[in-house]
Amino acid sequence: MRPIKTSQTSVLKIENLTKSFNGKPVLVGVDFEVYRGQIIGYIGPNGAGKSTTVKIMLGLIDKYNGKVEIFGQDIANADVSYKAKIGYVPENGEVYDDLTAQEYLTFVGKMYGMTENAIDYKAKRLMDKFGIYESFTSRISSFSKGMKQKLLIISSILHDPELLFFDEPLSGLDANSVMIVKELMAQLAAEGKTIFYSSHIMDVVEKISNRIILLADGKVIADGTFEQLKEKNEGTLEQIFNELTGFNEHEKIASEIVSIVHEGHKS
Amino acid sequence: MMNAISLKILDKFSRLFHLLGINYITMRQILAIKLTMDQRRVPTIFQDVKQKENSNAFLKSLLLYALYGLVLIPFLIMGDNYLFQMSIVFGMVMFILMTSMIADFSTVLLDVRDKAILNTKPVDQKTISAAKMIHVVIYMTQLTGAFILIPLAVSLFVKGITFSLLLLVEIIFVALFIIVLTALIYMLILRYFDGERLKDLINYVQIFLSVSIIVGYQFIAHSFQFVDYVVSFDWQWWHVLIPPIWFAAPFEWLLLGNQEWYIMLFTALAALIPIGSIFVYIKFIPSFERNLQKMMQTSGSTKIRKHRWEQTMAKLICRTNHEKTLFQFAYKMISQEREFKLKVYPSLGFSIIMPFILLFNVIQTDSNAPYAYLAIYFCNLMIPNVIHMLKFSSKYKGSWIYGVLPIANRKSIYRATLKAFIVKLYLPIILLICTIFLTIFSDISLLPDMIAIILVGIWYIVICYRLINNQHYPFSQPFSFAQNTNTAMMIVTMFVIGGFAFVHFLVSLTSFGVYFYIIVLFISNWISWKKVFS
Repeated sequence: MRPIKTSQTSVLKIENLTKSFNGKPVLVGVDFEVYRGQIIGYIGPNGAGKSTTVKIMLGLIDKYNGKVEIFGQDIANADVSYKAKIGYVPENGEVYDDLTAQEYLTFVGKMYGMTENAIDYKAKRLMDKFGIYESFTSRISSFSKGMKQKLLIISSILHDPELLFFDEPLSGLDANSVMIVKELMAQLAAEGKTIFYSSHIMDVVEKISNRIILLADGKVIADGTFEQLKEKNEGTLEQIFNELTGFNEHEKIASEIVSIVHEGHKS
Repeated sequence: MMNAISLKILDKFSRLFHLLGINYITMRQILAIKLTMDQRRVPTIFQDVKQKENSNAFLKSLLLYALYGLVLIPFLIMGDNYLFQMSIVFGMVMFILMTSMIADFSTVLLDVRDKAILNTKPVDQKTISAAKMIHVVIYMTQLTGAFILIPLAVSLFVKGITFSLLLLVEIIFVALFIIVLTALIYMLILRYFDGERLKDLINYVQIFLSVSIIVGYQFIAHSFQFVDYVVSFDWQWWHVLIPPIWFAAPFEWLLLGNQEWYIMLFTALAALIPIGSIFVYIKFIPSFERNLQKMMQTSGSTKIRKHRWEQTMAKLICRTNHEKTLFQFAYKMISQEREFKLKVYPSLGFSIIMPFILLFNVIQTDSNAPYAYLAIYFCNLMIPNVIHMLKFSSKYKGSWIYGVLPIANRKSIYRATLKAFIVKLYLPIILLICTIFLTIFSDISLLPDMIAIILVGIWYIVICYRLINNQHYPFSQPFSFAQNTNTAMMIVTMFVIGGFAFVHFLVSLTSFGVYFYIIVLFISNWISWKKVFS
């Protein structure tokens, strides 16, 4: 199962990770190792345990079984300093939106140990590159969804991290911004940064990931490059996804939905 | 400005934090951000580019607390029956601190964004917890300071330095005790429940606490008997359960030399319980933070509730289908939106209890008091508060739905909402109170008076709607820091209700006046509900 370039440095290693909430198993033995410069597309149906894995790696959930190593350190015994080299875009866009973009970025940068001047200089230009410079001193609560997403991406790369966790980073972005972010990921990875990327948009995952990990029912059911996945299964990533997760009823369900929609009109 | 001062003062203690293994610089940064956000918890709908800091709202609420503080002064200076006086004083202090802690600061303790934003950064849990705690302490210090400053100065002049020093020290203890107590209660709940159920439960605890403080207050008053203007205290075991009495005891002991065993016991409790609870709190912080994660999870499927009752009521009192649907929508919002319940339900508890408190106080002085039923008018005091709150929702952005729906008569949205308020909250409460009053007096001839009171209430609902929120959609504004402080309005509405009660009294002096009054009220109701919403 272990694919591609094993000679490289390991950035992230998960061994037999299990976790249950209130007796309900969420992860039942997850194993994988991630190497420097990889873009991992981490995919799976809703409730497969993707977010839980990411949260465990970020240290948001403790009390799990198994071993999680980041930058060669077991995070269960490590202090928090490993987080300084991680950037994170949260799935639900959690942000202190009473603050202005400037205040928020300054705060996050300082948390990562940057100086105020460095943050300000960098943040302004990043905002400019993402086309939201004029909102630098506006409150985040007044931002559109796309603007907020751009801000979250900026806040995740501001401190030049080695490892990035992107949870649906493209949600709410327009087509042009999507291209920027995709290219950004490719270039960062080429430089040797590692990107751990989860999304439900299969086309994007297919195109930008150089390795895909498919999680279902709390365990890894496929792991490899898109080409490797295609050797065993036919079609696009979307079709492979459907096949591997045992789902092939979309046409039937859709037509049932259509017929339900037509019901119940009185007037 | 005030926040800058708070942080400067905190800087003096930076060594202490280092000693405790807390990263002071990081903690200070978190605090600075949190304090800035607090300042902005003001109406935030159309805020735009580069606006000025508006710390006015918080300052104003501090001024209001200072005003409330004046109430303490008579009890501080009236005599030297300290056990009684100081119990009242500490009862008030605890009431104010606890309610504001619950209403305004639960969000700080339970902010789940902290997890995703702070814990993903290289910051250790200890520092985050410390920042949280200090944040609450700063807020409580400002609030307590505003509340107690004037009474403290007065007591210094009237009672001397020992008294005021003792007061100051005890107030600090009380404040710490309240903070820790609230936190501990949340911890306990978080341990056993998760997801949505947990949020509901916290909601009910908040409501329960607020109401029980009001009831507890009555217990203090009834722990003392007024005999010939001499207040005497009779030891009962349950006095141990009333914290304000603990804190009053040291005054009795140190200033009056009262060395009864129970005074010593209370004093010991006043000193040991707050300190002890802090240790318990610190011990449980890690598990608290872990359990906080549960807030973000949703527990499995919930059972589908039947809502026949709402449907029947909707059919009965709404004419169009649109209105029926809007009625059911508002009914659900009123019974399910947590923030709304949190802001409104305590005051409902208050309006249930108030008439009885009044009744018992009246009966104690004059056992046959014929007009005691007028106390029910106090129940109508909830109306302006609830109507005011119907504008707000924590998910106010969802109100775009009103705009896109094909509703011809926009006013029917509010009519349906007010009807839902009547059915869901007003009628159950007032009917309950009326039934209890009828049972106590066992006098069926009061029935017409009760009907008149209810009709006044329903009429008053339209009047309040007209006065307070004519133009907004319901559930369409964000809750904010300052909206509770609509004191002027509350006083005006109190007078209006008093006016109604007085008219009722005048009317009932004549033999069939009440029936006439009912007819007049009925017609005014009919006209007002028709006119206002057409």
